[in-house]
Amino acid sequence: MGGSELEDPRVKMDEKLLRFMDLLELLEKKRTTLNSLIEQGWFSITKARYSMGNKQVSALQYSSEMEPLVCVHTRALENGEVQFFTERNKKKSSTESSDELLSVEDIGPQEEGLRRRNKTKKETTEKKDTEGAKTDKGFEVNSARKRDQNPQQDPLKWFGILVPQPLKQAQSSFKQVIEFSAEIAALQSAVVSTRQELKLSLAKGLNSEDTLGNTVKEKCPTDELTVSEQKECSKITSS
Amino acid sequence: MAGRGKLIAVIGDEDTCTGFLLGGIGELNKNRKPNFLVVEKDTSVTEIEETFKSFLARNDIGIILINQFIAEMIRHAIDAHVQSIPAVLEIPSKEHPYDASKDSILRRAKGMFSAEDFR
Repeated sequence: MGGSELEDPRVKMDEKLLRFMDLLELLEKKRTTLNSLIEQGWFSITKARYSMGNKQVSALQYSSEMEPLVCVHTRALENGEVQFFTERNKKKSSTESSDELLSVEDIGPQEEGLRRRNKTKKETTEKKDTEGAKTDKGFEVNSARKRDQNPQQDPLKWFGILVPQPLKQAQSSFKQVIEFSAEIAALQSAVVSTRQELKLSLAKGLNSEDTLGNTVKEKCPTDELTVSEQKECSKITSS
Repeated sequence: MAGRGKLIAVIGDEDTCTGFLLGGIGELNKNRKPNFLVVEKDTSVTEIEETFKSFLARNDIGIILINQFIAEMIRHAIDAHVQSIPAVLEIPSKEHPYDASKDSILRRAKGMFSAEDFR
């Protein structure tokens, strides 16, 4: 009976340790892939710079206004880990946005019907409000048009209209890097939280075995213990 | 996962920033500060550290990507950051390949075991 009470925390600790090792292995694999993708991206940028010219692919080409095309969502789990998910904004095609603008525009006279000379005050105020609303609408249409001209522009366009293929390859590589970055961030969070859990479990294990004392030494030969438990036992025997 | 997503920030050399901006992470407008810093030869460590701390202070940044050689310059600031968000990822640069032994996260995980465990 005492043995089963001791086995459960040890089994849990072993499971956590195995999970920790698996996470580290997965993290290393993802890191290797991330690093090779980044290197591919740099190589493509260098090739594009070679064909376009040194100053044509540099920080001088960055737009003065940028909007992010990709964002990351986070979700905190109960065990302290955080998950990261990337979301890429789907940009509208330029033809669709211009068609929508045309449908919004009013073509023709703003006023309908005959003009009345003898107008009451209420009518005049209402008319002013509608005219104001229509001018506002016109202003909104104009500002929307300006925004749509440069809202979420493809960053490739900063470097010219016709860009070489290597620059597009670089963009593709870095898009994949961004996806991997979110996965690696989640793995890092999992590694750190699992390590914390293991630390706490070890500390709890030490405390519980201090109170049991000699009982543990008699029942548990060192050959059957894991590495961490052997360490705990050696500390108890030395004390 | 409701609500507006967070940004990805970059602190790196010109090619690193250019690559990630091509990927679509860049934000820059009249009202807000940029979410990237191009580190050149004459960029001071103070400026890098201030930019890193400003990214940490912003609540709209989810991940910070930083070249590892730049992270070495402000290692004390990176080690002091223990929160999960924003996540700090160290990435290689063209002249300095990635070294896992210098990564802050892996160094914290490495402290789990010592040589005595494997005797």
